[in-house]
Amino acid sequence: MYEWIWRHLPGPLALRVVEALLLVAVVVTLLMFVVFPWAEPLLPFNNVTTE
Amino acid sequence: MGGTPAGGVPVTGAPGRRPSPSPAGGPPRRPPTPQGSPVADRLGGAPRSAADAPTERVRARAVAPPVEPTQFAKPVFTGSLPPAAATRPPQRPAPPVRPRTIDAQTVVIPRVGEDRDAQNLHGVADADDEYDVGDEDAVAAREHPEDGIGRKAVRGIGELLITAGLVVLLFVVYEVYVTDLVSAGKQDDVTAALDDQWGANTVDGAQREAKYELIEGSAFAKIYIPVFGPDYKFSIVEGTTDADLEVGPGHYVGTALPGEPGNFAVAGHRVGKGSPFNDLDLLNSCDAVVVETQTGWFVYRVLPMEGEEQGWAEGRGRSEKCANVAPMKDPAQPGGGPYAQTVGQEIVSPKQGEVINPIPHYEGEVPVTQQASLLTLTTCHPRFSDKERLIIHATLVKQWEKNPDKPTETPPELEES
Repeated sequence: MYEWIWRHLPGPLALRVVEALLLVAVVVTLLMFVVFPWAEPLLPFNNVTTE
Repeated sequence: MGGTPAGGVPVTGAPGRRPSPSPAGGPPRRPPTPQGSPVADRLGGAPRSAADAPTERVRARAVAPPVEPTQFAKPVFTGSLPPAAATRPPQRPAPPVRPRTIDAQTVVIPRVGEDRDAQNLHGVADADDEYDVGDEDAVAAREHPEDGIGRKAVRGIGELLITAGLVVLLFVVYEVYVTDLVSAGKQDDVTAALDDQWGANTVDGAQREAKYELIEGSAFAKIYIPVFGPDYKFSIVEGTTDADLEVGPGHYVGTALPGEPGNFAVAGHRVGKGSPFNDLDLLNSCDAVVVETQTGWFVYRVLPMEGEEQGWAEGRGRSEKCANVAPMKDPAQPGGGPYAQTVGQEIVSPKQGEVINPIPHYEGEVPVTQQASLLTLTTCHPRFSDKERLIIHATLVKQWEKNPDKPTETPPELEES
């Protein structure tokens, strides 16, 4: 998977490294601000109220 | 294909090659020559020849290519031997071992019957073999690996698992740190709004009424726990939905308000989202929990813990902090009265909503005027889990109106530590 992505990044090595870091940043941002906030209430970690 | 190069070899190869095998091999026995004599057969002549024949073939195949590069500057074969061709020529003069083996392969070997020599050479030939025979394939494989489906699948699964592990780690970071940042921003917003509202509502000189604007998600009071440090301060919002609690501690809708008889119940996150109630388990009996509203200050103190009630009046109850704090169990009544189960700290199951009843754990009717003014804090327990709830009960020991002339006046309990 990662190898495939790396092979398909265009440009010379330095540019590829930048692109790879950019991809990682995009994925992390998506996780942090979209996926995790959505998933968190579904997980049994942080319910603090009584019923 | 081996003909021309082999013929040209003698220039460098012949001298080294010829002497080495002949002494070792002794009489040049041609393998296929059938002696016919029974003695020769018994000695293994026939098997040996049979065994030699294949090795010869292998050697010949193996040997021919490596020699070529030395002979011809850049012939067709350079491509097939990228590493060997480059390294061999310079090495040849220095270590005498290498050239010999190569030479031996080309010419002498066929004639050598010596086992040791043959094996040795065979080993070398094998090494070369791999280079030579599989060369193009190997190079191609290194540049464009074409793995089987199984290999790809295993690698793909491995990568997925590693990725999943990283995502889980990231989630922990999110839960413990990132939510703090988000919540801190929201808490600041509601606090600023609350301060605005309190400041704008000032009626000059006149005594203000204790009036709350309870809007879900908006702050209406502030909570201070001095033992957690002078900077421990949160705005309490109305409501206990996820969105409300993301902002700060949330007031259970319908429970009493600060200072009122009944149970002023507040929930807060323990981990992440500002972690307002992270350290609730560290609260001891008589520690102050101060609530500020627009018009007044309310000082609650944590009730005696279970087990501290025995001898409270003579022991811990005598300390200055514990003035007005006493076990709520009434020894005069059978079973301890309605407040028999109200202690400073308890851990309950999430289903036990009765802890935020006007009288915790008590279903009976008690007139409001006879109810104590309690404060109840709830959070999850243990940390990082929602299996149980940690409950803190405190009782109101002091309250007073804010003095409009001295808006910055704070109760001395805030200085406790």
